[in-house]
Amino acid sequence: MILAQAVGDDAGTLPTPDIAWSSFAPELVLVAAALLLLMFAIGERRQLAIAIPTGIVAAGLGVWLVAQDHVAPGAVAIALGAATVAIVVGVGERPPLVQAFTAGAAALGALALSLWQYVAVMAPEGGSATASVLLGGSVAMDGISLFTRLTVYLTTLLVIPIGYGYLQDRDVDRPEFEPLLLLSATGMALLGAAADLITLFVALEILSIALYVLAGFARRDRRSQESGLKYFLTGSVASAILLYGMALLYVATGTLDLGSIGTAIGLVTTDARIAVLGLALVTAGIGFKIAVVPFHLWTPDVYQGAPTNVTAFMAAATKAAAFAAVLRLYLLAFGRLDDLWVPILAVLAALTMLYGAIVAIVQHDVKRMLAYSSIAHAGYAVIGVVSNSDAGLSGTLWYLLTYAVSTLAAFGCVVAIERRRRGEVTLVDLRGLGRTSPALAGILTLALLSLAGIPPTAGFAGKLIVFQAGVAAGLEWLVVIGVVSSVIAAFFYLRLMGTMFLEEPAEGAELPIVSTGLSLGVSLAAALVIFFGVMPAWVLTLADNAAVLAR
Amino acid sequence: MLLSIVLFLPLAGAIALSFVPDERSAKVTALVASVAAFVASLVLVARFDTAQAQLQLVVDAEWIPAIGASYALAVDGISLLLIVLTTFMTPLIILASWDHRDRVRGYLAAFLALETAVLGVFTATDLLLFYVFFEFSLVPMYLIIGMWGGVNRRYAAVKFFLYTLLGGLLMLVGILYLYGQAGTFDYQAIRELTLPVETQRWLFLVFFVAFAVKVPLFPVHTWLPDAHTEAPTAGSVFLAAILLKMGGYGLLRFSLPFFPEATREFVPWILGLCVIGILYGAVVALMQKDVKKLIAYSSVAHMGFVVLGIFALNVTATSAGVVQMVNHGLSTGALFLLIGFLYERRHTRQIAAFSGLARRVPVMAGFWLVVTMSSLALPGLNGFVGEFPILLGTYQAVPWAAVLGAFGVVLAALYLLWAYQRMFHGPLVGADNEHTIDLKPLEIGVLTPLVVLIVLIGVFPQPLYDTVVPSVERVLAEMGGDVAAAGDALVVPAGDASGGASR
Repeated sequence: MILAQAVGDDAGTLPTPDIAWSSFAPELVLVAAALLLLMFAIGERRQLAIAIPTGIVAAGLGVWLVAQDHVAPGAVAIALGAATVAIVVGVGERPPLVQAFTAGAAALGALALSLWQYVAVMAPEGGSATASVLLGGSVAMDGISLFTRLTVYLTTLLVIPIGYGYLQDRDVDRPEFEPLLLLSATGMALLGAAADLITLFVALEILSIALYVLAGFARRDRRSQESGLKYFLTGSVASAILLYGMALLYVATGTLDLGSIGTAIGLVTTDARIAVLGLALVTAGIGFKIAVVPFHLWTPDVYQGAPTNVTAFMAAATKAAAFAAVLRLYLLAFGRLDDLWVPILAVLAALTMLYGAIVAIVQHDVKRMLAYSSIAHAGYAVIGVVSNSDAGLSGTLWYLLTYAVSTLAAFGCVVAIERRRRGEVTLVDLRGLGRTSPALAGILTLALLSLAGIPPTAGFAGKLIVFQAGVAAGLEWLVVIGVVSSVIAAFFYLRLMGTMFLEEPAEGAELPIVSTGLSLGVSLAAALVIFFGVMPAWVLTLADNAAVLAR
Repeated sequence: MLLSIVLFLPLAGAIALSFVPDERSAKVTALVASVAAFVASLVLVARFDTAQAQLQLVVDAEWIPAIGASYALAVDGISLLLIVLTTFMTPLIILASWDHRDRVRGYLAAFLALETAVLGVFTATDLLLFYVFFEFSLVPMYLIIGMWGGVNRRYAAVKFFLYTLLGGLLMLVGILYLYGQAGTFDYQAIRELTLPVETQRWLFLVFFVAFAVKVPLFPVHTWLPDAHTEAPTAGSVFLAAILLKMGGYGLLRFSLPFFPEATREFVPWILGLCVIGILYGAVVALMQKDVKKLIAYSSVAHMGFVVLGIFALNVTATSAGVVQMVNHGLSTGALFLLIGFLYERRHTRQIAAFSGLARRVPVMAGFWLVVTMSSLALPGLNGFVGEFPILLGTYQAVPWAAVLGAFGVVLAALYLLWAYQRMFHGPLVGADNEHTIDLKPLEIGVLTPLVVLIVLIGVFPQPLYDTVVPSVERVLAEMGGDVAAAGDALVVPAGDASGGASR
């Protein structure tokens, strides 16, 4: 629905006053960029003929926006228009580079617009943000949507340079990669903002369908095929279950709006049994997306088989988006049923943390190990959800951001090691990396320390805040399980570190290839890991101010 | 400001190491950074007002306002001693690594980073900041053991890491709970909380486990012998001399003042663990064939004394516990250095491989003897002025613990002297023993400051006690115990032991 509007705008129709364009401005940029990239792909050698009109339209839109006193979005539009032309003129003879740069510029623009949303629209006076529900109640602009956008767009921005050389090396750098990535990011951002069940489901499908394709993107690689197919099959079943649950919620409450569902569930006229059944089915469906035990079974296979840059994207961004939906669903729609879902989710979180950490220990494939670690991390994030408080809400959002940068740095290093090889990356391949490529090993170590939650890294700051929310909510037992799981997890993170630094390189081992883009992306992620760890104040204040939920 | 300088000088040195051209200048840089930190800490001593018992030289700035965590530092007498111990030992440790060749830059950077972490632990008055430093100290030490250690280094490094991580994370849960109660991580605010005894009990336990692992106390000491045996010499010295002190410091700074009632309840149990540790450590040390392991187990015994003193909860024993931390740092540090020097010459640490060395290496034997005597608490050397008041004060509070603990002193004399006798006396047999070379000037230079302090403190411990006693009195007074009786009682110079007992 929203997408239709977005695309419609691109054709140049004038906005009607009742549409709050600001609420999905970042997504407009991404969709426009995705379309542009597809046109580039179709146009092949006539890229300039496409780029120049696009640039002019974008710049014109920007000038018009500035004239309307929307300086920041106008400036972004002008910059993006100029960038489009500049990219094609600059690197036009190398189409893959054009694709990557355009997508990167779009992600950067979306990131800038998300910040603008916060500064100019949500908290124009500074201080606490105000939440609002726009577009006839389907899109919310609040802390969840803001933070999800930040995490998703930051991830997108980092994943593009990390994956660029990798796709080329593996000969799968087809032009539809970036549009799919942007489309998926759009879906994720919308999922973070979805304020009714329909928008939520549509957003979930947009992101999932793009990801199904991305997971199977390395067509000639059997493991990638397997990954894509498995993800598709299990994902469709989960979507169906989720939809069934939504239908039941509609039956029980007579509304699709999350806030209204929350109010209706308390009423005597509502059939509580149907609502509870809806809750159960929604939990199963969404549990699949965030990969909590027992809905996690697809994760290791899909993460292992998918191209590594896609895995990084899935781990960092999909998780953030799906958790946004979880927060909105449970805190808003099921707010009155918290007696029911808090204990259930808490137990699931405990199982998830322990299972993820314990099973990761016995893995030899590094991607698979990181996949199990991502399962464990979903458990930590659930601690914030079951805290059922503002602190838990902002804690979960913050945790997902810190996890995103850490896991991006980790997978980025795996990308460098994997590169041309068709096989898996095992512990053996990490041997002596500390001697052969110390910088890469250093960054991977930093990422692993962050995943293990050792101060002063982002991962510690993240765990601190969710644990704190858990303790404040009286869930000490769950936090203690989180602690135990952290120690178990530290064991295999240490094993990876040990393999890199404490063992000698294997004879004739291939050296990892570090391209410019990769080192740029990975270094940026590593810098953020340290920055969030040492100086979490800025972003945390943002998270705190943004801990408002559009009700 | 001054505290921040002391704290971050080593880290700045560590960062600077990545920009220096060659290994030699790396060593010089590291030495300069650590000496600068030592000088800065001497300025700290000069600025410190011994008459005051409060935390002084406060630094307080915003850090994470969203959760009420601040960058807050301050020192009292207890932390001051440990800070100076740290900044004093680090340059010596770097000098002792002067001939190190393997990945020098990373090696020295790890030590400097470790120094900052430990100094942070000793100065932070914000619980979150404290925790960050406490846990961060694991990483450089893990790398030191893991990358530059012996054959089983990996096992030892992981064991060290996981033991302390588990303890630390459990403490984090406790810290978060306290934060929930106080609404801030500020030390003073949390100390002023009055918690119900049931709550105090579990909080005390989680804090105690974290610190007991660090000390290490029986039965969570098992990581220590492994870590010591596998760590490179400099790592062992840092571990024994400085890192273990984080545990004793934490008990005194946090466990006692935060949870006074629970502390009192648990005293008998803890003293029991200390006594077991003292005797067990000594007996196991007696049976070791590897001299480094022997000293490692002796550390378990000696740190048992420290905790015994702290938990006797009177000014005499508790102050002596702090002083004994410094003494243990000096003498055990010196012993590990000597073992390292001997190992470089002989590539073995088996006691049986050595015999009659005193004739070939008289200087080394002389140092070894003095340090051994200090370690077994010979009157006139520093060990005595720590251990004796500990036993004295403990006897006033809990006689049985002091009586049993005293056997530890006897056993210490036994295992230390026996080892010395087997290694340095007896017939000079075998070509290896014949051709062992004596200490080089640099090595003598490293050991001399230690031995000078060992003797100096032994004869004239008063400044140490003057620094510590007011702070300890405050800690105990805030616990609401009967401190007045002990009052300025103690403070025992070596020659005047009888003056110590006031009741």
